[in-house]
Amino acid sequence: MSAVSRQVVVLQASWEFADEVIKRGSRIFPEEELKTLYACIQCGTCVGDCPSGRRTAWRIRHIIRKTQLGMREAVLSDETLWNCTTCYTCQERCPRGVATTDVIRIIRNIAFEEGYALERHLAVARNFAKIGHAIPITDEVKEKRKRLGLLPVPPTTLSYPKALSEVQKIIEIDGFLKKIQR
Amino acid sequence: MAQGTNHEDSPRIGVYICHCGLNIAGVIDCEKVAEAFKDYPGVVVSKDYRYMCSDPGQELIKEDIRKYNLNRVVVAACSPRMHEPTFRKCIAEAGLNPYLFEMANIREMCSWCHTHQREAANEKAIDMVRMAVEKARRLQPLETIEVPVTPKAMVIGGGVAGIQAALDLADMGFKVYMVEKSPTIGGKMALLDKTFPTLDCSICILGPKMVDVARHPNIELLSYSEVTSVDGFIGNFKVKVLKKPRYVKEEECNACGACTEVCPVEVPNEWDMGLGVRKAIYRPFPQAVPSVFLIDKDSCIECESCVEACREQGRDAIDFNMKPEEVELDVGAIIVATGFDLYDPTKAREYGYGRYPNVITNLEFERLVNAAGPTGGVVLRPSDGRPPRRVAFIQCVGSRNVSAREYCSRICCMATLKHAHQLKEKSPSTEVVVFYMDLRSFGKGYEEFYRRVQEEGVRFIRGRVSKVLENPDTHNLVVRCEDTLSGEIVEMEFDMVVLAAGLTPPSDAEHLQKALKISRSPDGFFLEAHPKLRPVETHVPGIYLCGTAQGPKDIPDTVAQASAAAAQASIPLSAGKVVVEPITAQVNEELCGGCRICESICAYGAIAVVETERGAKARVHEAICQGCGACSGACPSGAITMKHFTDTQILAQIRALTVGRW
Repeated sequence: MSAVSRQVVVLQASWEFADEVIKRGSRIFPEEELKTLYACIQCGTCVGDCPSGRRTAWRIRHIIRKTQLGMREAVLSDETLWNCTTCYTCQERCPRGVATTDVIRIIRNIAFEEGYALERHLAVARNFAKIGHAIPITDEVKEKRKRLGLLPVPPTTLSYPKALSEVQKIIEIDGFLKKIQR
Repeated sequence: MAQGTNHEDSPRIGVYICHCGLNIAGVIDCEKVAEAFKDYPGVVVSKDYRYMCSDPGQELIKEDIRKYNLNRVVVAACSPRMHEPTFRKCIAEAGLNPYLFEMANIREMCSWCHTHQREAANEKAIDMVRMAVEKARRLQPLETIEVPVTPKAMVIGGGVAGIQAALDLADMGFKVYMVEKSPTIGGKMALLDKTFPTLDCSICILGPKMVDVARHPNIELLSYSEVTSVDGFIGNFKVKVLKKPRYVKEEECNACGACTEVCPVEVPNEWDMGLGVRKAIYRPFPQAVPSVFLIDKDSCIECESCVEACREQGRDAIDFNMKPEEVELDVGAIIVATGFDLYDPTKAREYGYGRYPNVITNLEFERLVNAAGPTGGVVLRPSDGRPPRRVAFIQCVGSRNVSAREYCSRICCMATLKHAHQLKEKSPSTEVVVFYMDLRSFGKGYEEFYRRVQEEGVRFIRGRVSKVLENPDTHNLVVRCEDTLSGEIVEMEFDMVVLAAGLTPPSDAEHLQKALKISRSPDGFFLEAHPKLRPVETHVPGIYLCGTAQGPKDIPDTVAQASAAAAQASIPLSAGKVVVEPITAQVNEELCGGCRICESICAYGAIAVVETERGAKARVHEAICQGCGACSGACPSGAITMKHFTDTQILAQIRALTVGRW
């Protein structure tokens, strides 16, 4: 949990950031579902249910609250944002039907674009750009696959260099490559 | 009188545009709308005014009727739901037939829904007034129908709501039939130990009222009975009630209890929520009314020990051959007081109710803490019968939840505060923790009670519990939630967990809804005719609502509403007659082929085909007909006309809308 600041936080009475999140997310999720963001009453069901929250400082309720309050920078720069496993337990159980996990996914997209991604996430993304897999396959895994009667390498970009170049082309065109090269 | 002749003359229409303060005038230029009808054919006078429904507004209309000899009046204002009766009365006072009036709803259907489209709204308002004028031109006078009222009432449900309503009506001098499906009246209140926030003993304040019902000369109690069908209309309902067999003669049993003592069968007692046991021949609880035993045939082994025990007492009250009996009642008014069911918390799986023995409901807690309950008022936990040292209360179980019930059940916060207090009172060292989202202590003396309970040492944690876990060895429970005020995820161990389960409509609400032809709101509770101004009436004249049948509420609100329903029901009962709207279907027998389609389609049983000298013809019972128009639309030969909504009138309205636009 991030420490409480000792200064007064100056808030705007607008819903600018929440609206930004909803608008941005409406490319993927139905806008009506995302508007549930307004309905959160901070009951804490989400955090109580959260498997990540029991082990880390991740408190989804706080992110939802700060998003409602328009604390844009504080939300995007919060490093715990990346501790959500997107297991959707909170969204499933929220008594107000708030699309909590969806909201977090949208906020992460915004944060990523604005350069708030953690170095270890960027490393994973670069793996993907390089070999088409987020996690490289180790010799140990190759051995294991053989023992199970599988090919040592799965039929993915690892087996088809042409497919890898296609993936690389796609992430170049859609801008992903640029976002991770900083 | 002017009304006899005026309508036959050429139409002389008065048009009145209401500003409704800024509700209409804030969007629509009322002066301009009035101006548009100054030279309209048939319109003699067209005016706008700030509040048409006000006394001076109505006076204006009456004066014009006299001055200009008007014979039709159009008011463009709000929904006719509220003020059509106002203006009908107004023109009747000026000597016109009240049905020579037409209303255009330029508020709900225009200004309110087109707030940001002023020009279009103006145009639409003019269209709507033109339609109303064209209909008004073709209106016919109608005569209201008066029907007599049977000065008797039926109250369905014998909980505190039904008891209060029945006693009020009976005290006014009306005959009341109380129909209760259980073997005793008293409802849920009879199961409670104490009532919040005054801590009155529940049965001590209810018991005497239950006895009053049984003894009142004007009340006939039909317990263990269910309403099977309701026909008729206000003042003249015909009700069929099925009396279930008790297998014990009510008039013969003196409740000595000798039968129960010898009965060898023990089954879970539903009056103790299954926490205790009862015999196959039993009385629900000592204060039951009527104080008569009954046999639960599903568990009875017919050993006839009870028959013998009864005979030893010099009586012969038990009759294994008793049959269900159908009773027919004629009543003028019906009050629905059917109460609620408790939300079934097995659906909230994360709390473990039904799997973990020490997770109980608030109503089960009431029985544990009740001196008449299975433990004699000592709170013991179900798994091992030991007194719990640590008790958690979980609020809003099934309430305020989009996947269960969206509404607030309104009683659980206070019920839990009462339970917490009772635990502290009986054993001050008990640790009591209440897990809540919001605490709603809004009634008289409620907030003060909350404070008192806090000072007694009850702990409050603001966080909705996400999970209850059980230690299978000890059957202790771990409650997990976020304390939202500190932001920490907490786990606390308890010996017992009480779920504040919410209120739901009773499972048989649908059956009753169909029998009575009343409506329910989206939450499943019965719907009142108007949320503010007609809170105890239904859409069906003569049928009234009170208590939790209408929505969750506590005992003070229930009793107040029950008295209100009795007062409303007494209006037609004491008047002895009611006026029925003459807007009904009318059959042209020349065209009717007797096909019976109308008969099959009518939801009210108001139209029936009868044999006449000229063959089978449909006939309308005007007092039952609600004027819905279903028969008229369905009639293949166009034989049915809806008075006040004739084809001529409706086609004229359509023409008024389309001509000049296309």
